[in-house]
Amino acid sequence: MTETDVAIIGGGINGGSTGLELAKNGLNVTIIDKNFICRGASGVNAGTLTMHMTRAQLIPYAKKGWELWMNTSEWLSKEIDVEKKNGLCLAFTEDEEKLLIERSKIRKEYGADISIISIKEAQRIDPNINSSIKCAAFCEMDGYVSANQTGNAYSKALKENKVKILENYDVSKIDYHKNKYVIIFKNGEKLTASSIILATGVNLEKTLKLLEINIKIKCLPQQLIVSERMPKIMDTVITVANGKLSLKQFKNGTVLIGGGWPGIGNVEDNYTETKPENLIGNMMLACHAIPRLKSSRVARVWLGLEAETDDAMPIIGEIPNYENAYIIGSIHSGYTSGPYMGKLLAEKILGKDIDLSLFDIKRFL
Amino acid sequence: MINNRKYDVIVIGAGPSGVSSAINCAKKGLKVLIVDLNSNSGGQIYRAPPKTYKSISKKLEENVIQNKLSDEIKKFKIETAYNHTVWQVSPGFKVNAFNETSTIQWQSKSLIIATGTYEKIIPFEGWTIPGVIGLAACTVILKAHHFIPSKKIVLAGNGPLLMLVAYYVIQFGGKVDAIIDTSSKIDWIKSTLSLITNPKNFRDGIKWIFKIFLKRIPFYSNSTVEKAFEVDGGINVKIRNLKNGKAKNIISETIAIGHGLIPSTDITRLLRAEHIYDEQKGGWIAKVDRFLRSSISGVYIAGDGAGISGALAATDKGLLASSALLYDEKFISQTEFDHNTYKILKKLDKYEVFAKAIFKLNSTPKKLIESINNGTVICRCEDITKSEILRAVDQGAKDINQIKSWTRLGMGPCQGRTCHYATSKIVAEYLNCEIDNLGYLTGRSPIRPVPLDRVLGDFDYEKITKVEAAPL
Ligand SMILES: Cc1cc2nc3c(=O)[nH]c(=O)nc-3n(C[C@H](O)[C@H](O)[C@H](O)COP(=O)(O)OP(=O)(O)OC[C@H]3O[C@@H](n4cnc5c(N)ncnc54)[C@H](O)[C@@H]3O)c2cc1C
Repeated sequence: MTETDVAIIGGGINGGSTGLELAKNGLNVTIIDKNFICRGASGVNAGTLTMHMTRAQLIPYAKKGWELWMNTSEWLSKEIDVEKKNGLCLAFTEDEEKLLIERSKIRKEYGADISIISIKEAQRIDPNINSSIKCAAFCEMDGYVSANQTGNAYSKALKENKVKILENYDVSKIDYHKNKYVIIFKNGEKLTASSIILATGVNLEKTLKLLEINIKIKCLPQQLIVSERMPKIMDTVITVANGKLSLKQFKNGTVLIGGGWPGIGNVEDNYTETKPENLIGNMMLACHAIPRLKSSRVARVWLGLEAETDDAMPIIGEIPNYENAYIIGSIHSGYTSGPYMGKLLAEKILGKDIDLSLFDIKRFL
Repeated sequence: MINNRKYDVIVIGAGPSGVSSAINCAKKGLKVLIVDLNSNSGGQIYRAPPKTYKSISKKLEENVIQNKLSDEIKKFKIETAYNHTVWQVSPGFKVNAFNETSTIQWQSKSLIIATGTYEKIIPFEGWTIPGVIGLAACTVILKAHHFIPSKKIVLAGNGPLLMLVAYYVIQFGGKVDAIIDTSSKIDWIKSTLSLITNPKNFRDGIKWIFKIFLKRIPFYSNSTVEKAFEVDGGINVKIRNLKNGKAKNIISETIAIGHGLIPSTDITRLLRAEHIYDEQKGGWIAKVDRFLRSSISGVYIAGDGAGISGALAATDKGLLASSALLYDEKFISQTEFDHNTYKILKKLDKYEVFAKAIFKLNSTPKKLIESINNGTVICRCEDITKSEILRAVDQGAKDINQIKSWTRLGMGPCQGRTCHYATSKIVAEYLNCEIDNLGYLTGRSPIRPVPLDRVLGDFDYEKITKVEAAPL
């Protein structure tokens, strides 16, 4: 039987970031994933780093996350493309205008540098947007990551920091006695750890059951649509007032359409399936925002599963009644803030005075 | 999106196997729809000339067979949806397609997938320049359109298509500058005995070879195109002998190259059916039982999708798959099923000998994979080179989907149809492992690129489906 200081179950952006920070501080870390590193939500998400879609209370964290993303070569790896872009959030009707002004004001109160601008100003920032908008919200702190490269970047950084990675290891049981955890895998192998961190994304509900903790984690199957490569048709990250569109063009020319339009899927057998009517709705909204997009073709559609708690706020911190057991996940716009959230949890574990009370799991128990 | 039609069975693909299975079902009174992206039945082998070509006078034998197929479809009142490209199939079964003007969704209890094969091309440096086309694509130009791609042409790759294309190019007045074959003359002689089991095709083969012989076309055995680049007046083709390493350059106008066919698994991968790797049957194929039932209840694979066995077997495979469907849905009795399938299975065994011989001539030699230069683009949709693939492998990518996500290979409009096979070969060769261990690309919708203007049409902003606002 092998031993480790910290066993992290789930190698997504949250488990990966926490593990990386702990390892950099000298701990012996093992990351376990039932698949490969960052092949869950963290490898298939839209990679948008926007304040316009972030939940107001999470803005301070998203800002810190954004800053980390902007200098990945320092703490992560050079193997990942990150672009800073201006962000425009559009309102097409009077109702949407009201909603946009109201939501932007609240986000601003939480620290996002968002301002409401006129049609003219918006068109100056990106002339490709639909000229029939009522107004737009503008934020300089925006951009995107090529999320498909997350797995490569994290594997490399984790290995360089001597984190042990166990891929294709599915945890089936966790035994706890004498302040030690014995993790038992489906293949029969075992791992002993002094500390565990649960970071299994959409599988958190199931993983928590291994510690006899029952809380509800919703599974949101979300669709993403990508176009074939096109000449440059836009120059900003585009979102809309109600938060149901994210749109940007990557350097290679493909345009990614997202926004959390639901598809079909479930956690049990990791199944996903597109919902054509929702694809159409999402595409229409995208083409309405950037009319030239309509001359393109859709090359690929895929889905990812996102975790959400009942109050749509994260759970991060200690797991009650267990020594040295922690949890991290269910973070809205979790890719944006993941690197920072992971760092925070790591600092807490390392003994720093970090306030995570907003994310305490106890609120569900 | 119109969403009104319900069928007992939808047959996707109107080649010989799709048509025979559709007819078999229609005869028993099932409500059948047959869908194809082409403008008529016939598939790749009996491809119909475009409707606007009123004056194709000299009809090829293939065109005549095609006419027969379309008469039968009319006779049995099978509904057809030609010019419809299927882009999404989901359980239940819902089939989404688009045509020139709009999109449509149909529903059915069962599905017969008869989408055949597509062309296998092992990449070489320069295969993406204008003037390089597929060998099978070239047969389409010849057979359905009665054109030759250019006056002068080099034919490369392997298998009987080389001879067939050479024959038609000469027939239509073109000049074949060279035939470059990865197989040896001995491979051809060895396969003769098996090929003879199919006298009709064998006779055709002899006819083609005779013509090639008469024209004294330079024939390079054990050889491949290593590199091609544009020069004044055409393309410089660098030929490399895979055995003795000798190289030679010739100038021509077009290169038609192909290394056989790959079974189409887009729809079965999309439906998350089980697949297995079988090199002899063309690569990754949907797993089927003896009667061509896939691992998903209600989905049957007719034709080459679950393993290549050629045009003659296609009709019988269509009958077999549809008999299984008719039996499963209780339209025929056990006795009738046993009676029908017994004869078909026997016939199919015979065709298998022929198919295996063809496969040998179309096999991909190790040396051919090794001959691909590191700078060669493998995924042409995303411009991913061999060295980028190997770099991802060096960094720890362990299967083809991880290579996909780290490099973007297979993420473009063709969704890996063109690069999947070659990538598997290259990586398996590099790691000295079985291709099975690398897995296959996860199926993703749309299986053909969907033009946004066509699926969306003109719409008002107010008409867009409203979804719940994201939480603030
Ligand atoms: C389609 C989509 C688009 C999104 N777009 C954006 C966006 O644009 N911007 C943004 O900021 N956020 C976005 N998100 C949200 C973001 O992707 C997630 O919040 C974030 O990636 C979650 O990371 P995670 O590490 O918690 O989970 P995951 O990345 O899902 O990682 C969990 C890991 O745990 C492993 N695991 C599960 N069970 C076990 C077990 N029993 N044993 C071992 N391992 C196990 C899984 O294999 C997986 O690798 C999007 C999400 C989706 C689904």
